[in-house]
Amino acid sequence: MSSSPVSPPVVKPKALYCPNCGGPVELRGFGHALTVVCPQCLSVLDATTPEFQILQKFQGTERIEPLIPLGTRGKFANVEYEVIGFQERTAGSGGDTYSWNEYLLFNPYQGFRYLSEYKGHWNFIRMLNGLPQQAIVGKRSGVQYDGRRYARFSSAEAQTTYVVGEFPWRVKVGDSVVGDDFISPPYMLSSEVTGNEVTWSRGEYTSGRQIWQAFRLPGNPPAPSGVYPSQPSPFAGKVRSAWSLWLWMMVALAAMILFFMVGSGGQLYSQSYNYHPQSTGEASFVTPEFDVTGRASNIEVAINTDLQNNWLYFNLALINSQTDQAFDFGRELSYYNQGGETEGSKRDHVLIPSVQAGKYYLRVEPEGDAKSTEVVQYEITVRRNVPNYAFFILAALALCIPPLIVSIRAGSYETARWRESDFSAAGTSSGGDD
Amino acid sequence: MKHPLFLIYGLAVLLSTGYAEYRGLSFTKINELRNVPKTVRDNPGAYRSHYGYGYGGVGRYAGGK
Repeated sequence: MSSSPVSPPVVKPKALYCPNCGGPVELRGFGHALTVVCPQCLSVLDATTPEFQILQKFQGTERIEPLIPLGTRGKFANVEYEVIGFQERTAGSGGDTYSWNEYLLFNPYQGFRYLSEYKGHWNFIRMLNGLPQQAIVGKRSGVQYDGRRYARFSSAEAQTTYVVGEFPWRVKVGDSVVGDDFISPPYMLSSEVTGNEVTWSRGEYTSGRQIWQAFRLPGNPPAPSGVYPSQPSPFAGKVRSAWSLWLWMMVALAAMILFFMVGSGGQLYSQSYNYHPQSTGEASFVTPEFDVTGRASNIEVAINTDLQNNWLYFNLALINSQTDQAFDFGRELSYYNQGGETEGSKRDHVLIPSVQAGKYYLRVEPEGDAKSTEVVQYEITVRRNVPNYAFFILAALALCIPPLIVSIRAGSYETARWRESDFSAAGTSSGGDD
Repeated sequence: MKHPLFLIYGLAVLLSTGYAEYRGLSFTKINELRNVPKTVRDNPGAYRSHYGYGYGGVGRYAGGK
């Protein structure tokens, strides 16, 4: 099959004259047009009668210049179309109205296509041959067509408020249709009901830059404003991939935790002691020396007691017997259990960071309640290369930030899209029409 | 790759965590002293703990409930 462009033959438009103003009126639609609007006086003329019978005279005060002038040709999917008609449509009532523009495109072999433009958002539209079927899309009502589901977005009565050029139907200002829009970005299905006639069309979201390139228009297209119903989300697919990457990161973190748990240097010293509060002797003592080997890493000093409604305070110093360097710290332990309610803890630990290799001993000085008579048993354990789980928790939290940001931004984008909808997630009308 | 910045950020977090674990870093603030007298080994009571005796070397811990 040839892939050469399907271009309309270059023919000179048929020129006739407007019976209202006498100005020339060109026909580009190869006899498909039923009405034509005089570009000078904007009178709607019957294109099927030789004398161009006047169907409607322009009553408005303001002329609209289409962004794409009539007669401009542009290529879509390698098919060249010519802009032959333009209309402005308005929906809503009172001060709560909104308008959009529709361009009628024509190719003698492909027929008619449409371009719609609203606040810088463009859609390339073609009529459907089949009838969409009702469907449920998530929690929303909608339709299904050609294997794709479309969620119902809006419903409004729209009036033609400005028209110029040729049309294959009897168009005039004031024409009214009831339109329903269903979205599945980048597509939008629209139904238009006029009397007993229902027509369905499918629009594909197209950037203004693509339109400008297709028609080789000078300058830049108007910048789009807001989120259009069928505008593809820039976050489509990114949420899933972000969480997928997060999962791999968490697997790597879990592997790291396992590595450091397995690589823990193990126990250097452990001994049980008793604290006698009534003892009058020197409370402080030192442990035997123990060897700390390997790279500079942490040392954990853990204290485990059998406290019961009591407290103990420990003055501790980890002293390097070779360099006379000391790490001095204190730890308070208290545990109370009264009426089933507990407070405090019987155990505690401290991590001493980046301890160099060498010979060390602990100086321990316990202090307790002098009025107590209970002997408190406690155990001091010293370990090397102990995983610091605070870092792992912080890393896990930090790794959650990027996918959370992507998810929130994607959610905000969809919220902005559906804020303009007439229908809630349950499929009922929310009463809004803008 | 849809998220190159996330990948770089994630690797930076993992590498930082790995380094902190490898070097045994900690959030705990530990008072570090130098030139502790060797006599502490034989006479532990002579040592004056920064925590137990305060900065002025007077007063003992008065904690508990």
